[in-house]
Amino acid sequence: MQTLPDELKTPLAVLLLSIADDKLMLGHRGSDWTGLAPILEEDIAFSAISQEEIAHASALYEMVGAMQGQRADAVAFGRPPEAYRCAELVTVSDEFDWARALVRQFFCDHFDILRFDRLSRSAYAPLAALAGRIHAEEATHIEHADLWMVQIGRGGDESQQRMQAALDLLSPLAGMLFEATNGIDALEQSKVYPVGDADLFDGWLADVQRVAADAGLTLNVARPAPDAVGGRRGRHHDGFTAVLDEMCEVYRIEPEAAW
Amino acid sequence: MVTRDTILDVLRTIDDPEMPISIVDLGIVEDVRIAEADADPAEQVEIDILPTFIGCPALPMIEQDITQKVGLLDGVESVRVRFVFDPPWSVDRITPQGRKSLEEIGVTVPERAESPELVQINLPVACPFCKATNTRVTSPYGPTRCRMIYYCDACKNSFEHMKRV
Repeated sequence: MQTLPDELKTPLAVLLLSIADDKLMLGHRGSDWTGLAPILEEDIAFSAISQEEIAHASALYEMVGAMQGQRADAVAFGRPPEAYRCAELVTVSDEFDWARALVRQFFCDHFDILRFDRLSRSAYAPLAALAGRIHAEEATHIEHADLWMVQIGRGGDESQQRMQAALDLLSPLAGMLFEATNGIDALEQSKVYPVGDADLFDGWLADVQRVAADAGLTLNVARPAPDAVGGRRGRHHDGFTAVLDEMCEVYRIEPEAAW
Repeated sequence: MVTRDTILDVLRTIDDPEMPISIVDLGIVEDVRIAEADADPAEQVEIDILPTFIGCPALPMIEQDITQKVGLLDGVESVRVRFVFDPPWSVDRITPQGRKSLEEIGVTVPERAESPELVQINLPVACPFCKATNTRVTSPYGPTRCRMIYYCDACKNSFEHMKRV
């Protein structure tokens, strides 16, 4: 389909916001490392990946903005906290612990590659085209994340302990990446967000556990309870408003500014 | 009257801001459309561009170059650049002339894909300077998003390689 049926517009906008908000926050947090990553090549790589997360978010905000008659900037930065649909994992500070930054990126990259694989087969043609392109770029993110997990996991006693500590700290938050957005059933039935052969959570868990095992690390993530409500439905942790205020500070000074 | 060919000739004079290769040879010009403006002989031009990477920071500069240069053509009333993702850009769209201009500055381009996989890194690459194949990746992330950095163990030079994306 080239045009989206009216009844699918809100569910799709919410789904795309959940993905774009994850990416915007992740890119924002990741860009904190520009100039600080452990080695020069990684400084460039992590900065490039963070820039890419924000670029993907921007392309998705454009699509949502076109549906809602708004500019992408207004969609990205002009909403109240409860209208954001990101998961808690991407909004908590890594406290400049490199292991935490890597684990957060690793969890998100493996989720993104699966959801963009599904979206690249969307019945809504403009979305399928964009998602196909994002999917190809996500494959380079996976390569980066997996390499670091294994290199540091196998590096030595201290590096392994620190990676394991980061996995243990962030694993309880990772399950809520999979909290469903409102209206997802209609998107799945209409094949705008087609269901894959395997369950999304099971597929993701198998992928991250395979890499963790290769890195000599242990990883367990629980599937979220069906009645658990979190960021995908606008319920955020106490610190979220502060994160958002920091990120939107410049935009709020002059919302109509052109860049 | 403006034709598609005259517009393409202008586009051939516009280089990518980060590499000495024209945007036509880079394969990012997907379509050029000309519509006659109402009640006026001047034309409205619409050009579809395929970004190499979605977040390529050169895109606004490319857009500006296109609207300025095509806008100078006689009879062109307005120029609009659209960034589209269908079909996805790939290195296979780089022309033989484009490959040559890149190789001259030490940037190699992967051969045409035999496998449908879009992304392949860590394949053997011949050094653009001495043609030896004992080369290795030193960083998959280079000065721009579409290039990675290689080192040639034979002639001890660094070079760049376009990603198989």
